[in-house]
Amino acid sequence: MSALQVQRPADLLCEALVGLRTLGKRSLLALLGIVMGSASVIALINIGNNAASEAEALFKGMGVDTLVLRFSEQPRALDTVRLHEMLPQLRSIAPIAQASVSLVFRGQAVHASLVGSHAALADAMRLTLREGRFFSDFDQLATFAVVGHQLAQELSAGGVPLQVGDQVRVNNYLYQVLGILQDQPDGLLMPIRASASLFVPLPGMARLDGRAGMGEVVMRAAADQDMPLLASAVRQAIAHLHGGQDVNILIAQQMIEGMTRQSRTFSYLLMALAGVSLVAGGVGVMNVMVMNIAQRKREIGVRMALGARRRDIRYLFLLEALALTAIGALLGAVLGGVFAWGYSLLSGWRFSFAVSSLVLGMGSTLLVGLFFGLYPAMAAARLQPVEALREE
Amino acid sequence: MGGGLFVCALQLTLVLAVCNSEPLISLRGITKRYQHAGQTLSVLNDVCLTVHAGESCAILGASGSGKSTLLAILGLLSAPDSGQHRFAGQDICTACPDQLAALRNRHIGFVFQNFNLMPRLTALDNVALPLTYRGVARNEARERAMVRLVQVGLADRAAHHPADLSGGQRQRVAIARALIGEPALILADEPTGSLDTGTASDIMDLLLSLNREYHTTLVVVTHDITIARHLQRQIHVEGGRVQAFAS
Ligand SMILES: Nc1ncnc2c1ncn2[C@@H]1O[C@H](COP(=O)(O)OP(=O)(O)OP(=O)(O)O)[C@@H](O)[C@H]1O
Ligand SMILES: [Mg+2]
Repeated sequence: MSALQVQRPADLLCEALVGLRTLGKRSLLALLGIVMGSASVIALINIGNNAASEAEALFKGMGVDTLVLRFSEQPRALDTVRLHEMLPQLRSIAPIAQASVSLVFRGQAVHASLVGSHAALADAMRLTLREGRFFSDFDQLATFAVVGHQLAQELSAGGVPLQVGDQVRVNNYLYQVLGILQDQPDGLLMPIRASASLFVPLPGMARLDGRAGMGEVVMRAAADQDMPLLASAVRQAIAHLHGGQDVNILIAQQMIEGMTRQSRTFSYLLMALAGVSLVAGGVGVMNVMVMNIAQRKREIGVRMALGARRRDIRYLFLLEALALTAIGALLGAVLGGVFAWGYSLLSGWRFSFAVSSLVLGMGSTLLVGLFFGLYPAMAAARLQPVEALREE
Repeated sequence: MGGGLFVCALQLTLVLAVCNSEPLISLRGITKRYQHAGQTLSVLNDVCLTVHAGESCAILGASGSGKSTLLAILGLLSAPDSGQHRFAGQDICTACPDQLAALRNRHIGFVFQNFNLMPRLTALDNVALPLTYRGVARNEARERAMVRLVQVGLADRAAHHPADLSGGQRQRVAIARALIGEPALILADEPTGSLDTGTASDIMDLLLSLNREYHTTLVVVTHDITIARHLQRQIHVEGGRVQAFAS
């Protein structure tokens, strides 16, 4: 009596698989839910991961060291020298005034946005020049202009390409082209479209448009600054200089955080969806197992007569449920991986497969199978041998 | 001192003698009732029965008299509502389900009227099944199963599935399965009930030869009085009580 009977795990698995084979088409239907559940978990985690890393890569290229300050009431002037003294952590400070003007070049009239700023703008916005140079601090009062890439192309539409040294008429003033910008994407934070703008020194702006006020300041931090901390320091300094002026400061980090938070929320949502399909699959598994056990009551009775203990019966059916789920989880993993890969391909992202998604996806699917297989297996184990044997 | 030792030794011999003479099965005042549609149906009423190791018994009685119910209690598949039940020196009333399963696995072999083989397993694996519940490795279990199949004359059918065997062959496989655990007791509920007369007598001869040659205790439920005459004792079930006769 004390002799413990232990059924070997390999034999148990063998028997479970044999049992599964006879489930046939019904088990295939239950598998569908499990496959979908597992596939969606794996696809969604991968898509979420790839989207997040893609978004982050996008932002990283745009300079995480940039601050853009927006005034609510435009001040007449900003003492950038004072500001620099107060905040040496800032590498460059460039106030911006914007106006809309029409330019004439060799009889060709083009509408453009006029940007008045300091020499520091080139560094603050990481502007690179295709030809010529950006205006310097000594050109403050000169009628020099730097032309954006796209604007230069529009001005060249007459057949004669715009070149450094050419004269462009802005309202009634002639400006000499000092440089032409390279084609480069604008950072998402930037208040202007560099490519379509004509850059002139800020002090001369009043001549061209009397109403153009200083709306924004683009700033770039020195290396290794804590951007949120710096942003609040800037806010304090501006309040000090401009008597409680309310300003809005944008930093890339905020937006990156916002974006990752958003994509995280998105993946949570998708995970919830995956959870729903998993639960549906789990209910399917439970259904198949309940029917399976109802059909095999007599077999359960015979097994008990031959000496199967309750736990042997429980393991047998639990293992069948698990094997069923494992097959579904595996199919789902393949399907989910292919789906995520296709999605990345269509979105033009770089695809990387997250191993964690496999662990999480297959793991959660197996857990679902275990959970929903437990009840039928325990019900089977609790059958009375003689009652089970009596079953037709 | 010496006297005390002698008394001790005497007591020990006495105890051993009592152990040896304890019957394999002892039922005392067993009752079994079923609740059906609000009515209580008393199937077994104060049944007392003793079966010694090596005996062969037939259980006879009208249909619905409770023969199968009695056999299920003897086979530890069903618990009586009251009474004392001892089997193989164990008190069955206080044993837990796992202990009962172990007792069935080690000491009892079942033969059913409708064979009850696992349709998805081969004859060999069907015979080996009880051993897997003892943790015997698959290969060893198959080897031992083969020996039993040879014993019942079905060595060449080892790889067949039950569906590909005749009724008599299926029952032989079932008997081989009952034998594989080398049980002290074989319980058979109308083992020849689904077989034609010729096959039936072959199966009965096989069961009787086991009782003769290996002294396996045999309890057979049957309607056939000629079969019952081949067994040492006849137990009649009638009105919820049993009466035993010797052949
Ligand atoms: N689970 C049950 N619920 C209700 N009644 C039952 C149950 N099991 C058996 N019975 C009743 O107990 C009685 C005895 O049944 P049992 O199967 O032991 O008869 P039997 O002598 O084997 O009959 P037969 O020769 O036809 O096989 C029958 O009247 C049957 O209806
Ligand atoms: Mg019966």
